[in-house]
Amino acid sequence: MTSSPQPPAPGSSGSGPSADQIAIAPPADHGAGKLSLLQQIALLRAWLFLAALILGFEIWARADFGGTFLFNPFNVQSIAIFAVVPLLLAAGQTFVIISAGIDLSLGFIMGLAAVVAAHTVNWAGGFMSPPMAVVMGVCAAIAVATIPGLINGLLVARLKVPPFIGTLGMFGVCRGAAFLLANGTTVPVRNSALSAIGNGRFMNVPYIVIIAVVFVLILHYLLSQTRFGQHNYAIGANEQAARRAGIDVKGHLTKLYVLSAVCAGLAGFLYTARFSAGAAQAGEPLLLDSVAAVVIGGASLFGGSGTILGTVAGALVIAVIQYGLVFLNVKPFWQFISVGVVIIISVLIDQAQRNYGGGRQSE
Amino acid sequence: MKRRSILGAAALAALTTAFNPAAAVADDHAFTIALIPGLTTDAFYITMERGARAAADALGVELVFQGAPDFNPVTQVPVLDAVIARAPDAILIAPTDTVQLIEPLRRAHEAGIPVITVDTFIGSGVYQTGAGDADFPLSYIASDNVLGGRIAARALANAIGGEGKVFVSNVNPGISTTDQREEGFKLEMAENFPGVEVLETQFNENDANNAASQLQAVFARNPDLRGVFGANLFSALGSANGVEQAGQTGNIRVVAFDAPTSIVDNIESGLVDVAIAQHPAEIGYFGVVAAFAHLTGQSIPVAIGTGFTIIDAGNVNDPEVARFIYSD
Repeated sequence: MTSSPQPPAPGSSGSGPSADQIAIAPPADHGAGKLSLLQQIALLRAWLFLAALILGFEIWARADFGGTFLFNPFNVQSIAIFAVVPLLLAAGQTFVIISAGIDLSLGFIMGLAAVVAAHTVNWAGGFMSPPMAVVMGVCAAIAVATIPGLINGLLVARLKVPPFIGTLGMFGVCRGAAFLLANGTTVPVRNSALSAIGNGRFMNVPYIVIIAVVFVLILHYLLSQTRFGQHNYAIGANEQAARRAGIDVKGHLTKLYVLSAVCAGLAGFLYTARFSAGAAQAGEPLLLDSVAAVVIGGASLFGGSGTILGTVAGALVIAVIQYGLVFLNVKPFWQFISVGVVIIISVLIDQAQRNYGGGRQSE
Repeated sequence: MKRRSILGAAALAALTTAFNPAAAVADDHAFTIALIPGLTTDAFYITMERGARAAADALGVELVFQGAPDFNPVTQVPVLDAVIARAPDAILIAPTDTVQLIEPLRRAHEAGIPVITVDTFIGSGVYQTGAGDADFPLSYIASDNVLGGRIAARALANAIGGEGKVFVSNVNPGISTTDQREEGFKLEMAENFPGVEVLETQFNENDANNAASQLQAVFARNPDLRGVFGANLFSALGSANGVEQAGQTGNIRVVAFDAPTSIVDNIESGLVDVAIAQHPAEIGYFGVVAAFAHLTGQSIPVAIGTGFTIIDAGNVNDPEVARFIYSD
C-alpha cells in the first residue's frame, strides 16, 4: 500500500492524541492541511467533467435550436431541485464508501422515513399547529432512520457482517416495514406548512435546495476538518493499522452507518414535503444512483479516498445528464447509456491515476 | 427436540387440512379461490382484493390473496408456483408479463385449476379461441386501458381547448396496461384532436422525482407546453409537482391515470385537473363471481370490461364518485 490515500487535512483537528495523527500521517511529504496532488485531481476531475458536460450541452442546445442550456435560470433551478434527494443519499454513502463499506439499505431507509414522516405529520396535525406538526415529522423521520442505521452499524462493526450483506438484509427489513406502515400504498399528507417547505422559495431559491446545501456543507466540514473524518479515511485505507493506532474502529463504524441513515431520513422527509405524500418505494430507484454519484465524484470503492465536494459534482453530473437529454429531445433510453458510460470512464480514470501514482491498491 | 418435531407434525397436519381443497369440499363444499395481484404494495390491487373479498363473503368462498412486492415476473412466478402447489379451486391472476407468465400458468391449467386473468393478460388477451398457446384462461376481466387512455386524451384536450403541446409521462415500456393507456391517448389525439401535438413520451422508472424533473425539462424546451398525461400514480404525482415547481399550475394541465387518495388530494388543491379512476373493486368482485360461476357449472364470458370514473374538482366530493377512490 504505497499510494496510501490521504486524509484531506491531517493534523488540522489539533489537540487529539498523537497516536491517531501518526497512524494516518502520510508517508510522503505532505504539509498539514494540504491535499495530495492526486486527490486534487481526483476532486477536480468530477467538477471538470461536470463543466465539460454543461459546455457540451450548451453548444448542443445552441446548435440544435438556438437556445441556451446553462443560462436559462429555470434549467438551473430544476436541476438543483432534481439533485436534492439523490445528493443527500450520496453524501451519506460517501462516508460509508470511504470506510471501505457500502450501504445498500439507504433507499428503503429513505422510504421508511418518508412514510413515518407522513403519518407523524398527519397524526400531530390533529392537535398541533401545522408548523409544529412538521417539526414532529422531521424529528420522527430522522429518529426512525437511526434505528436501521444503528442495526447496520452493530452488524458491521460488532458482529463482523460484511457491509454488503448486512445492509442488504436491512434493505429488506426496511422495505417490508415501510410498506407495512404505509399499508401498501402512498400516504397522503394535508399540511400547508409541509407543502410550503417542499415547494416554497426564499429569494427564488427553493427551500429544499437551501436545506440540502447547508446539510451537505456540514457533512463536508465533518469529513474534511474533524477527527471523525480523519478516522474515516484511516479506517478505509487500512483498518488494521487504524485499530493498532488506537482508533475506536467499532464505535466509529457504528456512528458511520447511523450518519448515513440520518442522511436518508432527511431525504425521506424532504420527499414527503415535496410531494405531500410518503411513499415506501420513494428511494428505491436512487440507491444505485447514490453509489454512482460517489464513484463519479472520485471515491474508490476500495475505501480510503473520496470527498463530499466530489460527490456533489457526481450527483450533479447524473442530474445534468438526465435533465439535459430530455431538454435536448434525446430518446429517453440514451440516459441509461450515458450515465453508464460516465461511471465507467470515472473508474477508468481512477485506475489510471492509481497506476500513474506508482502504487496500486492490493485488494 | 422431540417436542419440537411433534409440534411440527401437528402444524403440518393442520396446514394439510387447511390447504387441501378436496377435504374442504368434502366438508362443506366451500371453494378456495386464489387472487394473485401484479404486486401487493399498490392501492389498486388492495382495492381489487376488497372487491374480491366482498364477492367471496357473499358466495361463501374462501379467498387467498398472495403476491410479490414488486411488479416483476421473476418474483411473481414463485408465488404462483406456491399457490398451484396448494391446489386452489381457481386462480385469479394479474400476470406481470404477457409472455413470461404463459408457461407457469399452463402448469396450473394442466393441473386442472381454472385460470382467469384480471387487470393484465397473457398472450393477446383473447382467450378460448383454440388458437395460439395462451388461449387457455377462461376469461379476462379488466378495464379497457386503451379506452382509458382515450378518455384521458379527451379530458386533457378539452381542458386545454383542443390546442397545444402535451406529452405522456410513463413508467417503463413493456407493461401491457400502461403501454395501452399511452396507445389509446395517442390514438385519440391523432384521430379527434388535430390541434394537439403529442411530444416524445418520457419514462421515469416509477420515480416521482424523475417525473418532476422531466416535466420541467420538457417545459424548458417547450415553453408552450399545455398538458401532461401521467399514466400511473408516480408519473402523475411527479408531473404535478414539476408543474408546481415551474409555477405553471393551472397553465399546464395534468391528467392522472388511477385515483389513490394522494392524487385526489392533488385534485382538491388544484395540482391535478382530472383523474381517470378504474374500478379495481369491480374487477375483483367479478373475478370471484366468474370463477364461482365456472366452478358451479355455469358458462362465463371470455372478456368482461369494467368501467371508469372521471374525477375532477367538480365532483370529487360527491359520494357517488368518491367511492371509486382507491383505498385500503
